[in-house]
Amino acid sequence: MPNVLIDGLKERISNAIKVNQSIGILLPGSNYYDLLQALFEHIQVNSSDAWVYVTVSKPYDTLIKQYDYISEAKNVKFIDCISRAAGILRTDDNCIYLESPTMLEILGLEIMNTFREIDENTDKYLVIDSLSNLIIYNDADIVTEFFYHIVNRTRAKDIHTISLAIEEEGLEKHLNRLIYLNDKILKVRDSFI
Amino acid sequence: MQKEERLTIEEGLCKTGIEQLDIMLGGGIPTGSTVLVVGSSGSGKTTLCMQFLINGAIQGERGVFFTITEPLFKLTKNMEGFNFYDKKLIESGMLNLIDLRIISERLGLDTEKYTVEDASALLDILRDIAEELNVKRLVIDSITALCYRLQTPEMIRDFIFKLGSSLAAMKCTTLLTSEVPPMTFKYSQYGIEEFISDGIMFLGDFERKGDLIRTFQLVKMRGAAHSRTKSAMSITAKNGVELAPLLKSRE
Repeated sequence: MPNVLIDGLKERISNAIKVNQSIGILLPGSNYYDLLQALFEHIQVNSSDAWVYVTVSKPYDTLIKQYDYISEAKNVKFIDCISRAAGILRTDDNCIYLESPTMLEILGLEIMNTFREIDENTDKYLVIDSLSNLIIYNDADIVTEFFYHIVNRTRAKDIHTISLAIEEEGLEKHLNRLIYLNDKILKVRDSFI
Repeated sequence: MQKEERLTIEEGLCKTGIEQLDIMLGGGIPTGSTVLVVGSSGSGKTTLCMQFLINGAIQGERGVFFTITEPLFKLTKNMEGFNFYDKKLIESGMLNLIDLRIISERLGLDTEKYTVEDASALLDILRDIAEELNVKRLVIDSITALCYRLQTPEMIRDFIFKLGSSLAAMKCTTLLTSEVPPMTFKYSQYGIEEFISDGIMFLGDFERKGDLIRTFQLVKMRGAAHSRTKSAMSITAKNGVELAPLLKSRE
């Protein structure tokens, strides 16, 4: 049975990134897995686009176990910011493992280096999953500065950015400041967008 | 600017081949400069210098790496882990690795302490090698270990000054690594090396949430309108040394 919410999310994401350089998606934690599914299905279907997926929320291993079809997609590279810091030592050609989520400058380098290897004429997309988790490991000011840099650098290279922010108590002030750096905001509310 | 003039300016620069560093330098290190590469143990001095030599060798500029701190087999073993390392450059003679301790032994010098005559003999050998091989890039790793063997500040000053002048005359660009204790802001062990050098690259680190972030700063470069901004430095097997703007918000 088709999931109306996931289909709705896919459609909204697809429409939003067609016209905007960067979109922020603000969502409650209860919808996180729906959004992941919508995103991964979108990536899988649009196989001619190139994606870089930065995960600060779930280790790459966990993601590909849960969404096994995404490990076979040739159009997405992952940057895992949390496995190494958690003591998970694994290597995978499809994933760059960062030493720590605090190394934001290195994360920026890895993102741009990965995109540099992609053909110039390919449509390029960056997913940051998520800004709220980056704030767990770093102070909000430095995450804002990092995100500001990334949005500007990706814009200059015609890369579309999708950044997720999971609503959490106490983080609203920081997340609002961050998410509004995007061109468009999508707010997910349990059963509608 | 006229094309001819622009070409002359570019010819006067020695590109490191590290993209962000060349941008910070305004194109490259002024040819013939003697540059101090300062950092504590593990800061990336040797890797940066080796990348400088290899990128030069690829561009057709012969280089020589004099080591005094680690044996050659260890040095090459470490370098084999990097994608930029190419053994063929050694086999073709474009990159030469020389253990200064072996040269000292062959010259019959006391490897622990040099007299004025020993220092002079060593200087002649370094110059002869550079001249004979017609090298355009030279690295001494480290000047600290070499200065340790030179017994007075005068000897150190004289040695670096003479080495720098003769290599500059050959249009050879030289990097001298300088070891300093961690988390300190000084450029050399003996306080002399930086005054003789034309440039200073400072490799440091700072702690963020318990993690050490490598940093790079171009402190001085005579003859270049260079950036003095502090950068974050990354060292990976794939790309070697890379620089990125350091985020200014500090915890």
